[in-house]
Amino acid sequence: MTDTIVVTNLSKWFGLKVAVSELSIGFRPGVTGLLGPNGAGKTTLLRVMSGLQRPSQGEVKILGVDPRQDTEIYRKISLVPEDESVYDRLTGREFVALAARLAKIDHPLERAETVLDTVGLTDAADRALGGFSKGMRQRAKVAAALVSDPEILLLDEPLNGADPVQRAQLIALFKRLGAEGKTLLVSSHVLAEVERVSDRVVAMVDGRLAAVGDVATIRAAMTDKPRRIYVDTTDPRKLAAALIAGSDVLGVQVDGGTVHVETRDAGDLARRLPAIAIDHSIAISKVEPVDESLESVFRYLVEGR
Amino acid sequence: MTLALHLYRRIMRRGRVIGLLALAAVPGLVFWLSAFDAPESDLTTLYTDVLASVGYTFAIAALILTTATLRDERDSGTLPYIYMRPIARTNMAAQSIASGTGAALVIGVGGWIASAVALLAVGGDMEAAIPSLSLFVAAGIGYAAIFVPLGYLVPRALLFGLGYILVVETILAFAVEGLAQISIWRISLSIYAGLEDGFGEVATQAMTPVTPGVWGGVAKLAGVLVIGLVVLTWALRKRDAL
Repeated sequence: MTDTIVVTNLSKWFGLKVAVSELSIGFRPGVTGLLGPNGAGKTTLLRVMSGLQRPSQGEVKILGVDPRQDTEIYRKISLVPEDESVYDRLTGREFVALAARLAKIDHPLERAETVLDTVGLTDAADRALGGFSKGMRQRAKVAAALVSDPEILLLDEPLNGADPVQRAQLIALFKRLGAEGKTLLVSSHVLAEVERVSDRVVAMVDGRLAAVGDVATIRAAMTDKPRRIYVDTTDPRKLAAALIAGSDVLGVQVDGGTVHVETRDAGDLARRLPAIAIDHSIAISKVEPVDESLESVFRYLVEGR
Repeated sequence: MTLALHLYRRIMRRGRVIGLLALAAVPGLVFWLSAFDAPESDLTTLYTDVLASVGYTFAIAALILTTATLRDERDSGTLPYIYMRPIARTNMAAQSIASGTGAALVIGVGGWIASAVALLAVGGDMEAAIPSLSLFVAAGIGYAAIFVPLGYLVPRALLFGLGYILVVETILAFAVEGLAQISIWRISLSIYAGLEDGFGEVATQAMTPVTPGVWGGVAKLAGVLVIGLVVLTWALRKRDAL
């Protein structure tokens, strides 16, 4: 599968502040999560990709085209901006129909109806956007972005403000679009949701690429980072003593009936645990890795820099 | 023209329009007040003098409207909704300037109607009011051509624009002839003066050193329009949109 977005040696700075630094990456069809703390450069990257900002150095190619050189590319790429602002005086229907007209879509009103239905806003379509909740505004923005049926959809924090039901609907929509072969890049700080929506994760820290891959791949790549595992047992002190003898275990801590283990090789620990239990006649009731979530992976990435 | 219509509707908010119509009507009001005791034979020259010297209020109204054309979109973060569309940047620039011009003309015509009504109210010759429409139209087009690009490029465009109107056009242009020749207000006055024989002394002085002439003024305005279009197209292509 070829990359639909190619970023080569991209840097973007504002005066002395470097927002994106020498970033090279490609994005394929499917859903990719873009993660990073505030100030990591996610929004700047999306803005440069969408042609709203010019690169200070390097280049961006969208389907082989520089978005700042050929405006026809905007038939194939859309952005859902992070900014909450919309045209407050327009109704949802007027907003999406305006987007359709500006995108030079045939039958803009019909297309607007279709995408309003897609995001579940048909019933509220005649209300002014100024009276919309934050989640409804997000859905209106997504509808406006979908109106041209773009091959590439850049979404900057699209789940912000959406209630759980709306989030689930949007995530399902993004997954469906990704499965249809569209390229979606979803920036979010709601890590659990990115895990749910993304096939692939790109983590950015300080304007640089920190990691690329699925959560497990990223985690596996961080072999120098300790992993924490909680083990519930009938004899925590005996288990702790047995575990600490192993070279892969960096530290143990007893907390009631649970042993907190820090290891540099979780696989080896998993292999040793049954043997230790048998050898020392210890019953183990639960083994729980506690830092497998994307949030913990991300925290490691941030702290490791 | 979808974009032009959208931008026009966006900037022509009711409250703003009412306030700016009031500002543009100031010359008419001033003329009405100053014409009470004036002899009928002097009304036309007084009319031209008042428009030429107090008409800057329309320039300020046009400034407020036209700088807002794209600045409102940038400041509110809605620019991506119009920028990321398959519209050539030259076309986008032309539609933006067209919407700013249209908005300025609506206010200008409002100001002109106010001044014509004032002229009628004091028993003046309505034939003197008709050429003055050219002043508002020319100024509306000229100011839109420079202030729409300024609004896109500069965050404090209103301040810079006020500086241009109040310092460059009213003070520096008297001292530097080169500046006077490219003063939108003087160019507009020269077109008006080309259509109105009874230009007063104050009005003539306000236009100095630009000489009366319709086609010369129109040619200068066309030049300003082209420059505005080129600058805005360049800005849309080369500058960050957010």
